[in-house]
Amino acid sequence: MITQIAQPIVEVHDLTVSYHRKPVLWGVDLTLPQGALVGVMGPNGAGKSTLIKAIMGLLPLQSGFVKLFDQDLNQVRSRVSYVPQRESVDWDFPVSVFDVVLMGRYGKLGLFQRPRQSDKEIALDSLRKVGMEGFQNRQISQLSGGQQQRVFLARALAQKADLYFMDEPFTGVDAATENAIVELLREIKEQGKTVIVVHHDLQTAKEYFDWIVFLNLHLVASGKTEDVFTAELLHETYGGKLSVLSELATLLRKNEYPSRE
Amino acid sequence: MLLLLYSLNPMTDALLKFFTLQDANVRYVVLGTVLLAISSAVVGCFTFLKKKSLAGDAVAHAVLPGICLAFLLAGNKNPWALLAGSFITGWLSLVCIDFITSKTKLKEDTAIGLVLSIFFGVGILLLTAIQHGGNAEQAGLEGFIFGKAAALIGADLVLFMVLSALLLCTVALFFKELTLIAFDEQYAKVIGFPVRWLELLLTTLTVLAVVVGIQAVGVVLMAAMLITPAAAARFWTDKLQVMVVLAALLGALAAVGGCLVSYLHTNMPTGAWIVFLVSLLAVFSFLFAPKKGLIARHYKQKQHKLRFAEENILKTFYHLGEKQKDFFHSYTLNEIVEKRKFESTYLQKGLERLKKQGYVVQQKVGANPAQYLWQFTTEGYERGLRVTKLHRLWEIYLTKYLRIAPDHVHEDAETMEHIITPELEKTLETWLNYPKNDPHNTEIPYR
Repeated sequence: MITQIAQPIVEVHDLTVSYHRKPVLWGVDLTLPQGALVGVMGPNGAGKSTLIKAIMGLLPLQSGFVKLFDQDLNQVRSRVSYVPQRESVDWDFPVSVFDVVLMGRYGKLGLFQRPRQSDKEIALDSLRKVGMEGFQNRQISQLSGGQQQRVFLARALAQKADLYFMDEPFTGVDAATENAIVELLREIKEQGKTVIVVHHDLQTAKEYFDWIVFLNLHLVASGKTEDVFTAELLHETYGGKLSVLSELATLLRKNEYPSRE
Repeated sequence: MLLLLYSLNPMTDALLKFFTLQDANVRYVVLGTVLLAISSAVVGCFTFLKKKSLAGDAVAHAVLPGICLAFLLAGNKNPWALLAGSFITGWLSLVCIDFITSKTKLKEDTAIGLVLSIFFGVGILLLTAIQHGGNAEQAGLEGFIFGKAAALIGADLVLFMVLSALLLCTVALFFKELTLIAFDEQYAKVIGFPVRWLELLLTTLTVLAVVVGIQAVGVVLMAAMLITPAAAARFWTDKLQVMVVLAALLGALAAVGGCLVSYLHTNMPTGAWIVFLVSLLAVFSFLFAPKKGLIARHYKQKQHKLRFAEENILKTFYHLGEKQKDFFHSYTLNEIVEKRKFESTYLQKGLERLKKQGYVVQQKVGANPAQYLWQFTTEGYERGLRVTKLHRLWEIYLTKYLRIAPDHVHEDAETMEHIITPELEKTLETWLNYPKNDPHNTEIPYR
């Protein structure tokens, strides 16, 4: 059950992505509506993060294309924000919380240009929104997991974007942080902006998101939560491996076949 | 005394001469090495933070074949030619490492090892060939292996000064960009930074720093100039800007020191001494830096141990007071040990410290110190009460919320009672709603 919509804010067309020749996402055709809070769900290794990274241009595409706001990513970068997985950086790096949040403004600044007063105010404001005011001078290694996640979120907020991609923002955070983040995501949504979140907890998914994407190496389902969250689709996503698909992928890698001629 | 002064005189004379930079040669060499040290330290900070320290070593070694090839082609030691040659092979080595890691299954450490030894091997091969080739110009070429700071004179120096200045300016201009690609490259890509170009820039800067630096310290020791100041500076600060400045200062300090040693003892190699001194500074930082240094950390652990001991003694006083129904009763050492088995020196030293801090008082009864009596002060009572309370609250927390059996919670509470902060104490109290008794049915004291 894949719902396609007329004027999507994200359009993914025939997307195939490979790591070292091994396809990890096959032929995804996906459209997402504006103003939705979207959960990207699926078992471990289903390609959830891969999908987000491919959309953000961080991975080479084997085939297909991606359009955001009906345009090429390069034309709309300033309207798109990304929260990478928390583990993707070294938290022992010698910068302060404020420095990291200020990085959210770098995209708006030219090369050589130093952050202006307005950028600093936006950064402070973003810190306030995630409840981290007072932490601005802390070195980032002194933060707890939940606080680190909030800092990353503040950096994304500082970009003042219209479309947010977040890779597992709820991993390793405490309940209070999770609630605060969800509250914040809803606020962003209320402003007509779109948030796309990689998530793995089925328990909370139904409550958090109004649109759900089920992935398991291919697109299983995409649609309004109440339409998609069915026993049948859940089973299709989580029940058993797609053995033919994954064996074929391993073959492609081992024998150096091209996945597209 | 006079004799001593007299014997010191030539030494102070030499020092004075060195530090006033009267001698033009000294001036050149000091200026040159300081510049080289600063520029490699500054670039090295980013190499270090990008976790590319070993790649820096590979570049340093890979520069040698470039120098030899350039010499073979040019037929003399034209500095421009040597510079270009070393730049090209240094750069090529990084390209090779990248190629091997991305196109084969070999990991980066293997790739670096391979590239380093192959390039350096070829370099030595060429150098040997040149030395036996009969070109009279070749004399001094072997100086690139271990460095020859004394050769930093005249036109060469001007060239290297220009390069160093260029390097420092570039880092200053691209500080924001270099920081971001070192911290979070993917994010830099997403917000539209030209990450490939910036990576290329950092690579170029690294190679350039190496090329400039080998004049003074040689290819073998060059990696130390790149990485050691950064590693040392990291111990002292958590701010990148401070770290870069500090690394530069440490590098410069070592450079001046190295020059001084070889000035005072003419047969001492400058480059090797610079590297030795900068390593010494790194070891010093590793040991003595406040907070991050080994000794500071050790000291902190020791302080914690002492505090734990003191609080345990105060808690024992409190327990005794509960039994006596009089908290200000006095006890002999034996009576305390009966309540809780303290080792006797541990107890005595702890009591002495508590006495100094004003938590207990001592009454000297009789001649035998074992008969002396010890007693709480009001401050001691309050602290003993708090530790006892935290212990019992934590036991409740463990049994009630973590469902741990009451007979298993004591050990854990023994540690936590010392660690819980006043804020956590408040939370615990309000959350558990001021319980009356602990899981063993003893009363929880509140003030």
